[in-house]
Amino acid sequence: MALVLRFLNGAYIFRHCPKPYASCPYLGTRFADYCSSSLQKPVAASGRTSSQRKSEGDLQGHHQREVALDIASPEEKPEVSFDKAIKDEIKDHFRRLKDDIVNHWIGPEGRPLHEVLMEQAKVVWQFRGKEDLDKWVVTSDKSIGGRSEVFLKMGKNNQSALLYGTLSSEVPKDGESGRSGYCAMISRIPRGPFEKKRAYDWSQFNTLYLRVRGDGRPWMVNIREDTDIIQRKNQMYSYFMFTRGGPYWQEVKIPFSKFFFSNQGRIRDAQYQLLLDKISSIGFTLADKVDGPFFLEIDFIGVFTDPAHTEEFAYENSPELNPRLFK
Amino acid sequence: MRQLKLRGVKALSRSHTASWELGRNSNPRQSVSPKEPRILTASLRAAALSSCWKHNNEEDKVSGRLGEPDLKSEIKGTGGCLTSSSMSWAQALLLARGISRGWRGICGATVMGAPFPQVPLQAPRGLHCSAAATAAGSSDSWLAPPPPEPQKGPTKALAFHEELFQRAPEGTRDKADFVRAVQNFGQHNVHKRGHVDFIYLALRKMREFGVERDLAVYNLLLDVFPKEVFRPRSIFQRMFIHYPRQQECGVAVLEQMENHGVMPNKETEFLLLQIFGRKSYPMLKFVRMKLWFSRFKNINPFPVPRDLPRDPVDLAKLGLRHMEPNLNATVTIYQMPSSTDSTGAADPAEPHIVGIQTPDQQAALAHHNPARPVFVEGPFSLWLRNKCVYYHILRADLLPPEEREVEEIPEEWNLYYPMQLHLDYGRSGWDDYEFDVHKVEEGPVFAICMAGAHDQATLAKWIQGLQETNPALAQIPVVFRLAGSTGELLAPSSGLEEPSPPPPEGQEEEEDDQQRQHQGQS
Repeated sequence: MALVLRFLNGAYIFRHCPKPYASCPYLGTRFADYCSSSLQKPVAASGRTSSQRKSEGDLQGHHQREVALDIASPEEKPEVSFDKAIKDEIKDHFRRLKDDIVNHWIGPEGRPLHEVLMEQAKVVWQFRGKEDLDKWVVTSDKSIGGRSEVFLKMGKNNQSALLYGTLSSEVPKDGESGRSGYCAMISRIPRGPFEKKRAYDWSQFNTLYLRVRGDGRPWMVNIREDTDIIQRKNQMYSYFMFTRGGPYWQEVKIPFSKFFFSNQGRIRDAQYQLLLDKISSIGFTLADKVDGPFFLEIDFIGVFTDPAHTEEFAYENSPELNPRLFK
Repeated sequence: MRQLKLRGVKALSRSHTASWELGRNSNPRQSVSPKEPRILTASLRAAALSSCWKHNNEEDKVSGRLGEPDLKSEIKGTGGCLTSSSMSWAQALLLARGISRGWRGICGATVMGAPFPQVPLQAPRGLHCSAAATAAGSSDSWLAPPPPEPQKGPTKALAFHEELFQRAPEGTRDKADFVRAVQNFGQHNVHKRGHVDFIYLALRKMREFGVERDLAVYNLLLDVFPKEVFRPRSIFQRMFIHYPRQQECGVAVLEQMENHGVMPNKETEFLLLQIFGRKSYPMLKFVRMKLWFSRFKNINPFPVPRDLPRDPVDLAKLGLRHMEPNLNATVTIYQMPSSTDSTGAADPAEPHIVGIQTPDQQAALAHHNPARPVFVEGPFSLWLRNKCVYYHILRADLLPPEEREVEEIPEEWNLYYPMQLHLDYGRSGWDDYEFDVHKVEEGPVFAICMAGAHDQATLAKWIQGLQETNPALAQIPVVFRLAGSTGELLAPSSGLEEPSPPPPEGQEEEEDDQQRQHQGQS
């Protein structure tokens, strides 16, 4: 209930994002996976974790310090010709397809099976270079007309990522938003050849591990599963991450059994555990109704098996709220 | 028109028995003959209602717009004629008057939904005087349009009952004022007309009065709803949202409670039960709140108390303890704020300085190579609930690999009783729980402090204070790297935000100071 939101109008489908991607192939993978669409206000959307939709190509991740660059003008000028760009793109996709087929014979994701089966701890995202930042999208309530700002850049010595900005819970005066003030960092969905959506398979692991350094603000970790099905478009599993603040690195371990289910920003009465075999993306949201600057430094994000954790699911369904489940 | 309908509904509900017994006359202008005893009693009762209302209005007219509390209590006594069976002599007089005049008005009221006493000549004036003060804003079809509301303060249009909340413009508004305003609404307006709008307004005003986290005030606000009226009585009423606007309003009250983290209690449950019934949306929301609030009550591993201390020194101590995971750490107050006036503002010349250091950090500082400088970095922000405090740290850079001292393993002189035993308990490849990544390595942090001011002079005082417990610090050069709070620890290469003259000067000053101190001490 802490993430009670307003109703998201589902008319804005985020699949528009890959289309401009395909239509502007000269912004190919070598430049980074950006959509060329700018900030768009989605239809009748508001609230905090609505930013978990990965619809926005409005990337606020900056390469340089405080200047918001338009993506079409990176450091190099796009002098490539259209035909060459298309050819490069096609070659790239075929190469990826070939890798994919070859890897399939070696084992899952190209690693030998015994290695994958015996793995107990896996680093999923780490921040050691600029290309690691490209795997994340940063959003804030600017997309609904709010005033929060958020930026993502590499931290000290290229060893961590710093998510910083200012939160402002000033409600946008558009006649339909009741609340405002959220910032989020969402990972991009992993893509295979020809932009086929992939998913992470974490079924062997049972805990999420984050090494962060915050400023004392409470964050929310959201995990989204495959969202192609229209019923699943706004569903996600969330839990809270409390940062301590201070100069020491903090290890946050959240077992997957603690994640509660929410749809369209509201906790649902019928709770089921998070199934780990098709995870699309993970995201961090800050929406604690306190205006002011914030920062979060992330070292890496991993998953591991905590052998002491045997709980399957932390929330039981109550017959009062959900009598249908108990018939 | 919505206002009319609501009032009509309420009027209907209030005079439920009366209208029922009057046979629900469809033609409003048709007078009902008072011959039948049943109708007579009904009309008596209805007239009693009307007389009470009229009485109220006249009282209102007499005492001014909002009335004084003592007059209100008087009216309350007479206003209780609705529920009490006995009536005083004044009411009987008015009753007699009302009976002769009130038939048509009553019939009209039950169908058209207007307030009862339209026929008496003074009543419209009285009605409108009180209407301007309390409820009925929209004009009824057969009454004169209400006079414009006297705009006292701001020029923008006030909400209907906003003047109830403007009683005490001077001074701070507190809970008593708010409670009084809510109660005035109820007293003013026996039929609680416009209660939905009033509740929305009150919810908006709560923050001004500072009562947004007070459960008793929320219960009082829920009490404004008329009871038993909105409960669904049949399965069809339960299927469809019965009285949707009121249910929305109830949900809005609960939602504001939830936003501020107020846990509802049994009184709230009983009120919701009385008002909306068990199968309503506010009740459902209440059940959900009970469930999820109790689940998430204690999930914060680093809880911060809700009432933060006002005193900056206490706040600094709380913040430092919050940041330092080691419980062995000692908090030292190096300087108290000098001024002791009631406003509590620290004298800018002497802000508070509070520091924290663990014994491990002390030992590390003692072992620190004096050839390498230590840095005072800051200020970094720490949020405690909704307050931001700033802290500085004393740290050193990481030693390059060649200078790291290698622990010498002494040679084992007895293999049967070895001094070091490394048994590898891993069974096989699957026992490796380490992450395959180089964790970020940073230099050690020696101490943290929170000070009232973020300038070099204050921090120099902190360093001097630290020197008492860490004498080794006297030899070590200290470089001040004070930046604006961008939030991250500065990189050693790009870090010097301040232009280069101050750090070497600082360094030199520190060394000079240390030498002087050295000489002073020796």
